[in-house]
Amino acid sequence: MLSIMQRLAKAGMLLAIVLGSTVASAQQEIKIGVIYPLTGPAASTGQELKNALDLAVDIINNGSKATPGLPFSEGGGLPGLKGAKIKLVYADHQSNPQVGASEAERLISDEHVVALIGCYNSNVTQTASQVAERMKIPFLNAESSSASLTARNFKWFFRTTPHDGLFVKNFFEFYKELKEKKNIDVKRVAIFNENTQWGSETSALENKLAGEAGIAVGASVAYPANSTQLTSEVQTLKAANPQVVMESSYLGDALLAMKTYRELGLSPDMILANDAGFSDTEFIRTLGKDANYIISREVWSLDLANHNPLIKQVNDLYFSRYKANFTGNSARTFTGVMVMADAINRAQSTDADAIRRALVATNIPGDKLIMPWKGVKFDETGQNQLGQGILVQIIDGKYATVWPFELAAHDIVWPMPKWDQR
Amino acid sequence: MTSDILVQSLVSGLLLGLIYALVAVGLTIIFGVMDIVNFSHGEFLMFGMYSAFWCFALLHLDPMLSLPLTTVLLFMLGVLVYKIVIRKVINAPILSQIFATFGLMILFRGLAQFFWKPDFRLIEHSSVAGTLNLLGIQFGKPQAIAAVGAIVVTALVYLFLTRTRTGIALEATASDKEAAQLMGIDSEKMFALAWGMGAACAGIAGGLIATFFPIFPEVGANFILIAFVVVNLGGFGSVAGAFWAGIIVGVVEVMGGLLVGPQYKMAIVLALFLAVLMWRPQGLLGKA
Amino acid sequence: MTTPRQRTEQAFLKLLVAVLVLIVLIELPREVQSASRQNLMILILLAAQLGVAWNIVGGYAGQISLGHVAFFGVGAYTSTVLLTHFGINPWLGALAGGCLAALLSLVVGWSCFKLKGHYFAMATIAVASIVQIIFTNWSFVGAAVGLTIPMDETGWAHMVFDDKTPYYQLALGLLVATLAVNFAIEKSHIGYYLRAIKDEPDAAQSLGVNLMRYKQLALATSSFLTALGGTLYAQKELYIDPNSVLSTSLSIKMALVAILGGAGTLFGPVVGATVLTLIDETTRGVFGGTGRGTDLIVYALLIIGIAVYYPSGLLGFVQERRERLRARRARALIDQEAAA
Repeated sequence: MLSIMQRLAKAGMLLAIVLGSTVASAQQEIKIGVIYPLTGPAASTGQELKNALDLAVDIINNGSKATPGLPFSEGGGLPGLKGAKIKLVYADHQSNPQVGASEAERLISDEHVVALIGCYNSNVTQTASQVAERMKIPFLNAESSSASLTARNFKWFFRTTPHDGLFVKNFFEFYKELKEKKNIDVKRVAIFNENTQWGSETSALENKLAGEAGIAVGASVAYPANSTQLTSEVQTLKAANPQVVMESSYLGDALLAMKTYRELGLSPDMILANDAGFSDTEFIRTLGKDANYIISREVWSLDLANHNPLIKQVNDLYFSRYKANFTGNSARTFTGVMVMADAINRAQSTDADAIRRALVATNIPGDKLIMPWKGVKFDETGQNQLGQGILVQIIDGKYATVWPFELAAHDIVWPMPKWDQR
Repeated sequence: MTSDILVQSLVSGLLLGLIYALVAVGLTIIFGVMDIVNFSHGEFLMFGMYSAFWCFALLHLDPMLSLPLTTVLLFMLGVLVYKIVIRKVINAPILSQIFATFGLMILFRGLAQFFWKPDFRLIEHSSVAGTLNLLGIQFGKPQAIAAVGAIVVTALVYLFLTRTRTGIALEATASDKEAAQLMGIDSEKMFALAWGMGAACAGIAGGLIATFFPIFPEVGANFILIAFVVVNLGGFGSVAGAFWAGIIVGVVEVMGGLLVGPQYKMAIVLALFLAVLMWRPQGLLGKA
Repeated sequence: MTTPRQRTEQAFLKLLVAVLVLIVLIELPREVQSASRQNLMILILLAAQLGVAWNIVGGYAGQISLGHVAFFGVGAYTSTVLLTHFGINPWLGALAGGCLAALLSLVVGWSCFKLKGHYFAMATIAVASIVQIIFTNWSFVGAAVGLTIPMDETGWAHMVFDDKTPYYQLALGLLVATLAVNFAIEKSHIGYYLRAIKDEPDAAQSLGVNLMRYKQLALATSSFLTALGGTLYAQKELYIDPNSVLSTSLSIKMALVAILGGAGTLFGPVVGATVLTLIDETTRGVFGGTGRGTDLIVYALLIIGIAVYYPSGLLGFVQERRERLRARRARALIDQEAAA
């Protein structure tokens, strides 16, 4: 039986932990909490996003002569708060929603951050932003595309990136324009998605819009993430004989899938992917030649610099530091923290509600962004209304914008050459 | 569902199953000899893959040529793990052993991420890259070579255990440690050997699949549950059991995925596994 | 040797201390301002409750289940689906979840209890994995997307709160109730039989103990309580998906918590939960931000260290030390008397 000593020890232990007091933080810096997957399955993306964040904050705090068109590039912190500098407080959510929520709690109550930015994985964004909503702290999401995130009636949640509903709509607008402008008639597709929240939502949207557009879906295959093999899945796709395979996979599965397509000889006219794994820097680097001609929905592309010189400036700076170009993910994260900085600056205060109101009033024009968007302006659900997706095709080992046709840097290559004919 | 798709899937399942078999053989040796559940077995596979990768990237050694080196490295790792950690929990309750190997699993993943970052790597253009087309069935050359490798290694292990003195001593320790000790067999050495061999088998499997599978710190997680299922299905401690069970699991996974739906493929494997256990609780070839 | 009077005094003292500790624990959240510290305490209580529930079948009866998350998930999903699809109150939903989990446990027991040791553990992992796969592909329960519980109506009637304190109290209450059930089992003839099943199953069987019936009873009780924990989790997080309430890693954590503290002891899982949760949160808080995996390494080393040096768990270790001390004192006394 438990003795008195043991019981007291237990209680004492709890007391000791819990009565450790926290020190109030000084006001010289503005702490923003940042929750991303720094370890775990999405870690390589998380690292990329961290680089983008560090760069943005460095520009704001210390200035950058190389990017004169960018807001805050004069440096010296936020003028609206008398030059207070931004300090990012990082937390790792390990792609686990509960950890994300715990970290959000910790950042808010222990680190006293004035706002949160995160989380890349949609299901972690879900729980972490819920914590923020409860604790009335502004939460800005820059990369999660699950449509349901802005359908929760939240007042403290703001999302700069367009969501899957819009992206899938883009796909079918693309098909329509293919027919009208390029005389390519897409009549038969196959849908291939990872069995997670993001993949399932995308697949449901794709099925629905295909039905409305009169496009036949030969096969709609869902597979469990992190499979050891995708043979039977790819067989099923092949049997459906589609012109286009619409795929939603994260990096590991995307790599495995492409290898399996090649191995089993699945060579559709087009592979149309919904970003994620397909737009990761590793994708081209690891697949080499086999990555060519794959088309992915993207949110950003380096050749957009042809239409917006600011993009080239900022990307050059990023490249000089990290020896890699921006990707759609890192570009969005960069933009997200810039939007947050802009809001805090206009709020001229670190009060949570003041920041929230400033976010609501956000109205940034497209030429101040490194994104192909018309701007940033949030609607009542917290969703940026002026965002847009693009489509890129991998040509000669690089991403080239092929749609919208007005922004295209390269003509679309259709059909995709067969694997063994390259 | 045409017949050639069925045949194609059967072949793919067979090739996959042979890989599973090799991973499971290593796991079953450890179980059989010392009754320890090695949760970190997937990480031996992972290290094997990284070994093949770094030899390829830094020393420009083809994965087939670096296989012996990988084997030796993983064997040493297995022995090291035994001497430093496992030896201390041999006589501890099962729960502590689970705990210890579970901790090792996290440790290895953390170390891999620390040293090699979480990025995905692939070995492209190895000597075995490409596809083969036999009688209308298409499959990747790396997969075929890996499957052949698995058969060879399993056969060698089986011969070792049944024909050599050390191997028989190992089996003796597995059946009855005390009796074996009375016969003069040093259990300590046998345990270390078991861990070395177990890790080496997983490492070889890793080296073989590194020719076609993405390499990253968490890759062990994809294989460990299946490895457990295969070992159970074949019967703890039985190398032949692990071999046949591996093939069965591979085929069931691929065919099940094809016929019922890929999202259910694991459920089908697991359901089959439970059914077999209910009918034959000690697994197919396990000791009753 | 203690006299009956001494034993009554000891029991009274123990009860007094227990009440005092309980009062302290109930008042604790009011003293602590930081929401994340409060959250930490709740996480500890939840983990402890799950470990204590697992202990009934894993520690006392010695049936190592590594698939307990199935019951947790069934509890969480049942109450949530009843709430979001049918508007049924979560308190009732919790009971429904508990009953469903107990039913599931009967199926599990019937099919798996014939298996021994590792085979049984693997079979439980298989069952839980199958449950996870089913839920991931079942659109009625939200499939992979999961389910969200609305935040607009709060209060004890809805089991949704803005403040952390009621969650804390609920978790504490559930933990105490689960401990009480354990205590009752431990002291009753059921506990006696369970210990027999764990240590000497053949002997017990030959004496006419129906092994199956008692194992089943232990599992049903354990699963019911685990399911209640699932409902509480769902009402706290307000979002569940197959990944968060049905993953195998949660099953491992439930067992880990009991092992760390000392399986088969009443308060072992509580100690284990406290230590494990603290290690988890601290290593991530201190090392996690770098993203190099340092926190995982530290966490892993701590787990391995405890497994190797404290195989009967921390509490078990403390108890054994006291046993040895007592034995030594008794021997000294005997030597003294002999010398005299």
